[in-house]
Amino acid sequence: MCALGAVGVCLALPRRGLTPQVVGAAVAGLAAGVVVLALTLKNPEHRPNVYFYIFAAVALGSAVRVITHPKPVYAALYFILTIIASAGLYLVLSAEFMAFALIIVYAGAILITYLFVIMLASQSASEETDKGEQEYDISAREPIAASVVGFLLLATLTAFAFRGASELPGSVSATSGLTKHPLSVGVVERETAILADMPRRVEQELRRAGLLKDGDKVVVSEDGAADVDLAGGTIGVVRASGGTERVAIPAGFMPKNVESVGFNLLRDHPGSIEIAGVVLLMAMLGAVVLSRKQVELDEELKKQQAHRLAGEPGEGGAA
Amino acid sequence: MMWLLAQAGHPVAMHEATLAHYLFVAAAMFVIGVIGFLTRRNLIVMFLCTELMFLAAGIAAIAFGRFWLDYTGQSLVIFVVTVAAAEAAMALALVVLLFRKRETLSAEAWQELKG
Repeated sequence: MCALGAVGVCLALPRRGLTPQVVGAAVAGLAAGVVVLALTLKNPEHRPNVYFYIFAAVALGSAVRVITHPKPVYAALYFILTIIASAGLYLVLSAEFMAFALIIVYAGAILITYLFVIMLASQSASEETDKGEQEYDISAREPIAASVVGFLLLATLTAFAFRGASELPGSVSATSGLTKHPLSVGVVERETAILADMPRRVEQELRRAGLLKDGDKVVVSEDGAADVDLAGGTIGVVRASGGTERVAIPAGFMPKNVESVGFNLLRDHPGSIEIAGVVLLMAMLGAVVLSRKQVELDEELKKQQAHRLAGEPGEGGAA
Repeated sequence: MMWLLAQAGHPVAMHEATLAHYLFVAAAMFVIGVIGFLTRRNLIVMFLCTELMFLAAGIAAIAFGRFWLDYTGQSLVIFVVTVAAAEAAMALALVVLLFRKRETLSAEAWQELKG
């Protein structure tokens, strides 16, 4: 199947003259579809969401179009489509924050930069070929060798996917700590810690659910952590009358995706954020230095300058 | 129709067969990026293909993060996007510089770098 995909992509790559691009794309798409179908049929009760198939098809289809389209502007636009479909895949994987960050940063910032550079670096009309496509865009370099190498890599990776990830140590499905509670043990502890760090949000949610009256408060320890017991499903509450009691956690009380990612980022990887900032700063400086236009002096000015430089010592010597 | 849409929400663990689908999509997208990088001769499209590879790595990271019920995968993708942005800025500055020197975007204009 991977060989079929290789033939398809190879045919779809741009080449001189009449090219069977459509046929190639159809063959490659068929190969990818058969592989995904085989994955699904191998374990039909664990098939992914139907949206997965839609987004995956769009993402892979437009990815093929990125590398096959002879015009760079269209390639960049197809890449935006790939990004949006990938954001859809992220949504299906319940990574909402990253999905929208991807659209904003990638499609909104990076790709627009690409489009600007493509337009900045486009050639003058006299050098263009008849259809406005450059020679180096029309013909691919070593399409057969590249396709063979690429799809050998894909065959290896797909073999891993078919064999199953259960061979990895410590997989969630293998530990089977999920029978009693939908969360495995480590996950419960982590989500509890996240909720405990947000006593005000816990209080707001409880108020909205009608579990807290005016003057009631969530029990907060000295270091500012709310008294949340996610495994037991209760939260400690101080009533306005002075007594404490434990109320049941209402449904849908889990930390949101953004909160979890934020806590993961800031609590577990604070140094990485600093490094990312330095990387971005260096990239900005580098881009400014590299793309700065060399100031070219006017020829006359240059001559005058040379004359003055040559003349001044002589005058000085005469005086 | 409900059986088609049935996908468990976040706290429920994902089965490895479901994970395999996402891994296949990530692998295929990565390989498409590799092939594009090797075959295209336009400098800008070559860098676009590296972005494609970054995107595929991000899909794999998020799928694994969902599989282990861990958010480190999503944090990783944040840094992948950061590096991609930095790389795009530098690469595009370089491309503009090279274009000014040779007035072409073809990678073959710089063949003497082969040594």
